[in-house]
Amino acid sequence: MKRTGFLYDQRYLLHDTGPYHPERAERLQAIYQGIEEAGLLPRLVRINARPAEMKWVEAVHAETYIRRFEEVCLSGHRTLDCEDNQMCRETYETAFLAVGGVLEAGRMIMAGELDNAFCAVRPPGHHAETAEAMGFCYFNNVAILARYLQKEWNIKHIGIIDFDVHHGNGTQHIFEKDPSVFYYSIHQHPSFAYPGTGREFEQGSGDGYGFTKNSPMLPGQSDEEYQRIIEQDMLPAFEPFAPEVIIVSTGFDAHKDDDMADMRLTTEGFAWIMREIVKLAEHHSNGRLISVLEGGYALDRLPELAADHVRILLEA
Amino acid sequence: MFVSRSMNEKVITVAKETALLEAQDLMNEHNIRHLPVVDADNCLVGIVTDRDIRSALPHNLAKGKADPQERKKYAHIKVEEYMTAKPATISPEHTLQDALLMFQKKQVGAFPVVDRDNRLKGIISVRDLLRAFVNVLGIGEPGTLLCVLVEEKVGQLKRIVDVITEEKISCGSVLVARYFEKNKRAVFTYLLTNNVMRVKQKLRDLGFEILDPMQWYMDQLPKAE
Repeated sequence: MKRTGFLYDQRYLLHDTGPYHPERAERLQAIYQGIEEAGLLPRLVRINARPAEMKWVEAVHAETYIRRFEEVCLSGHRTLDCEDNQMCRETYETAFLAVGGVLEAGRMIMAGELDNAFCAVRPPGHHAETAEAMGFCYFNNVAILARYLQKEWNIKHIGIIDFDVHHGNGTQHIFEKDPSVFYYSIHQHPSFAYPGTGREFEQGSGDGYGFTKNSPMLPGQSDEEYQRIIEQDMLPAFEPFAPEVIIVSTGFDAHKDDDMADMRLTTEGFAWIMREIVKLAEHHSNGRLISVLEGGYALDRLPELAADHVRILLEA
Repeated sequence: MFVSRSMNEKVITVAKETALLEAQDLMNEHNIRHLPVVDADNCLVGIVTDRDIRSALPHNLAKGKADPQERKKYAHIKVEEYMTAKPATISPEHTLQDALLMFQKKQVGAFPVVDRDNRLKGIISVRDLLRAFVNVLGIGEPGTLLCVLVEEKVGQLKRIVDVITEEKISCGSVLVARYFEKNKRAVFTYLLTNNVMRVKQKLRDLGFEILDPMQWYMDQLPKAE
């Protein structure tokens, strides 16, 4: 059995997006409840969230953006940059706690205290650009983690796998020129789903050309097509790169019962994907894997999806 | 919305052994500028364009004004010497938006359309795309495309727009199209948001059907002529 870390903090519920927003506190409560009711909590190592140091957030985000976020948030405005990004006064602080918790997971894994981890955080991060909030995301949690691992732990090859149903535009753009970070995203085709990027020909630029790979999926496809793409495209793509650590942008919104998009993955399909990613981490990264929550809005499905996810990490 | 629905399936092709002058004649005859080069199994091996041919021949021959005597001197040149081998291709399952962006990136005038086995299924040119995109607007901003099926009667669009407005969502574009079922219209709203769950639910509550995206085909749109 692996030493699997679990990041969850009541304070992640404080980011209040208003009464009708899909990215809501109940998502995390459903995830926690699913893991608890599956009897998995005693087997997990709890990770304590604390606010991230400013220097790590600044490793990805523009100082002017961070200051603007703080000002807009603390002055009581309900949105940042776009109507999608609903906030409350606690949002800025919660975003720092999310990043801080994820970095702590990274530290514990690099220090050998954990083998892998699941970070159930809010707000999510993969749409956040260096100087713009987008798609419910303020700070790019996984991008900041990758920069932390590079700078603090001298990691030369970081693999990021993003299976949220939406393309992680922020993560892609932050690393598109960086050949030391391989970003692979599988998502609903951008002609149909937010944010409209992530086409196959987006492959990075400059020195980073070839270190970004996108697999857009046509709406309605399910387990079989995901399996085909992962086996024939994703797993071979990581072979020559040999990541030392794998970061996963985990979104559960490609589930067939999730109304946010139109993919038809089953709960078992998600488990299969995660098992493959875990095997990939065993093969290349000595099992080092940090999964960070992005989307997933079907409250009835999140408990089972989260429980499976964590069980697979434990039994890797 | 897919390449398969807008490509030209009746493709004029040549073999790599075909004489370049013969390829030129084919282009003139059919008023086209791209000839996919295929092998005996109809697998794509290259593409030859009117530009390739012009670069290979002296000016008067390129213009087609040479006498038969002069043509003979160039009759030995084969297509394969001037074609682009392994050209950029597109698959029938790609969308027209993919094709649009690929044209911009690759700076070519046409893509051979090939299946997973590299067999030629058609060709799609900028001209085909322009025709298809006359009615399509705004995909540059982040957003989500919804297709709402409505009864063909007055005031339907307003009800949809009212819901979108209530949800404080900006519209990138709205396209109203004929649907293959009689007395129905498909309303394509490109919403500049990630947050579509509530707007979808509200529309369903009003009795609208949210169409499965895979049911959207350009040939269901009104014909241009």
